[in-house]
Amino acid sequence: MKRLFQLISVVLAMFFFIGTAQAQIKIGILSDLSGGTADVGRPYAEGIKDCVKYINDQGGINGQKIEIMQIDYAYNVQQAISAYNRLKSWGMVALQGWGTADTEALVRQVARDEIPTYSASYSAHLTDPGEAPYNFFIAADYSTQLRGAMDYFYKTWDQDRAPRIAFVYPNHPYGLAPIPAGKEYALELGFEIVGEENVGLGDMDATTQLLRLSRQQPDYVWVGGTISSTAVILKDAQRLNMDATFVTNIWGSDEQLLSLAGPAVNGHIGLQTAVIYGADVPGMEIIKELTGGKPQMTHYIRGFASMYVMAEAIRIAIEKGELNGPGIRDASRTLRDFDPMGLTPPISFFPDDHRPNMSVKLYRLHQDGMELLTTETLERRAEWLGK
Amino acid sequence: MRGKCGLFFTSYARESQILHTGFQKSSMALFFLVLLLAPFFLSSYQVSLLCMINIAVIGAVSLNLLTGSCGQISLGHGAFIGVGAYATGICTLSGWPFLPALLIGGATTALVGMIFGIPSLRLKGIYLAIATLAAQLILVYIFLRWTSLTGGATGMGLDPPIILGYSFDTDQKMFYLTLVFSILAVLMVKNILRTKSGRAFVAIRDFHLSAESVGINLFRYKLQAFGVSSFLAGIAGGLWAHYTMYITPEQFEIGLSIQYLAMIIIGGLGSVIGSVFGAIFLTLLPEVLGVLANIMSGFFPNISTYFLAMRDGIFGLILVLFLIFEPDGLARRWQLAKSYFKLHPFAH
Repeated sequence: MKRLFQLISVVLAMFFFIGTAQAQIKIGILSDLSGGTADVGRPYAEGIKDCVKYINDQGGINGQKIEIMQIDYAYNVQQAISAYNRLKSWGMVALQGWGTADTEALVRQVARDEIPTYSASYSAHLTDPGEAPYNFFIAADYSTQLRGAMDYFYKTWDQDRAPRIAFVYPNHPYGLAPIPAGKEYALELGFEIVGEENVGLGDMDATTQLLRLSRQQPDYVWVGGTISSTAVILKDAQRLNMDATFVTNIWGSDEQLLSLAGPAVNGHIGLQTAVIYGADVPGMEIIKELTGGKPQMTHYIRGFASMYVMAEAIRIAIEKGELNGPGIRDASRTLRDFDPMGLTPPISFFPDDHRPNMSVKLYRLHQDGMELLTTETLERRAEWLGK
Repeated sequence: MRGKCGLFFTSYARESQILHTGFQKSSMALFFLVLLLAPFFLSSYQVSLLCMINIAVIGAVSLNLLTGSCGQISLGHGAFIGVGAYATGICTLSGWPFLPALLIGGATTALVGMIFGIPSLRLKGIYLAIATLAAQLILVYIFLRWTSLTGGATGMGLDPPIILGYSFDTDQKMFYLTLVFSILAVLMVKNILRTKSGRAFVAIRDFHLSAESVGINLFRYKLQAFGVSSFLAGIAGGLWAHYTMYITPEQFEIGLSIQYLAMIIIGGLGSVIGSVFGAIFLTLLPEVLGVLANIMSGFFPNISTYFLAMRDGIFGLILVLFLIFEPDGLARRWQLAKSYFKLHPFAH
């Protein structure tokens, strides 16, 4: 009996010891590894995990290691909610989310449970703390990206007439999100809006829509889809000899597009908010080391930066002795022009404004690679918040 | 029944009782007792799964009434759930209390369901399936484009349900609320099936001409099936909306309709208890596969990547295997298991 008691107390002591020695920062990762957006979800999630590995190899955040739990929700809202609840039971203090479907379904729940969420759904309405007090992301929102591109086109326009712009997007929440903002700003700048067409995310042909558009002779065409529909649109545009410059949004152009659409991408513009692999910035050395020099898609770099910025917020929260949801949220809101090793433009969050920055990077697409054209930065207008 | 050998009935009323024997009654009572106490022992993750099961049960029994019992295939159930979610959400946002809002949500969905059910008089089988598929597409388009009402692409943020000043703001509380509604829904469908309407539904499913020649008004009963089924779908939607607290058109796309069809096929077409099993099975399946992948990745690193990619395939495989080997679904398995224990060790 006495031995049994001793044994139990030793076991209990061990558990206690382990419990205290492993005071770790628990971060949940909600990823799409097998669903509709898995092709870009995988590199993004790899970026997050590699950043955690990097931080832990450096000794963690103020000596505390990050512990992660990754759940694949297959871009399905029901599974996202149960995955979120599983992560919550596990005891996460912060969440790295993924797409529009899960981030929006969880907006109210993360606010109720006070779990700061950094996601890759860049819808503008998530930047309004009145609506989404615990949501953050590290890229300019879709509307700001579109405005930034239009600003650049207008500045570089050298003909006497007004530039003509058209919008092509899928009938889908993600495609619709920036359109009202884009139209409004186009008129404000002095563009002439000449067309608007729907091309679905899974469409294999866009000839009808582009034929209609080409009659209007737009100078610029906004393409708000994902990789496959963008490839279809660019190829059809090449076939129809359209001489407009096509501008693809952040999920519509990456290294996959170059191989899918081939020469059809030449001369068009892709919007990004992070550097591409191999860029000359301090963070790239670390990424090259982590990946063994194997090129990664730009989504990987955004995933890495998202985790890096979150880790900085957690560091500030720990220093204030507030390693909890509200603590990390408040710490995020104290970031001012925080530079994630050059991987993205500097990040700032404010208590009443969660727009990380107003910068968008324009890349000239070419079948052999992407070339940085410029980084366009807009003013932080109050009336654009959440729109 | 005591002193008699086996189970037999001397009146129709006795036969149509839901629970016949004392053993059935006591095991049902025990089941509900365990269910009511469960949230005190389970983690919030497990309780949240129970909430989702409760809501799925409402959706599945309602689709089963329409498709399993009345034989009207619907590919628009996901969108009908969406109508309920948006209608309830719009009502609570404009200041209505939760319960009346939920009823209005159900009633609106019933109306919408009946409108899209009108073609069912002329269309049967695959043609009706396509007509309801059209309903699915049209409704999601409306959710997306009627921005002033639904919030469009941005979606709609809602608060947890508040009933008489009591807020159901945790998974535990939501579990009890959804449980009450899922019990009511199951009882409602079970009872409808024991009435004249229920028998008319089954007659229409089995052969519409015979049904009509014995005096069943096809149009009326088909519309009734659409109405009742959509009403319950609307209730499921209203609960879902206030459980997740944020609805977007993406949540109610064709995938949801397929999932509910899969539930009633796996559970057993036409069986109420089958729909309950189907709802439980399909809600837990992705979770179980995820846990399996996690365990396996302990032995074979990287397997989770391949396993996850196969998950949809496994889901499809399970569906096909059910259709081939157990077309009557889990409900039949349940019957077999029960009779095995009843007859063990001797068959009377």
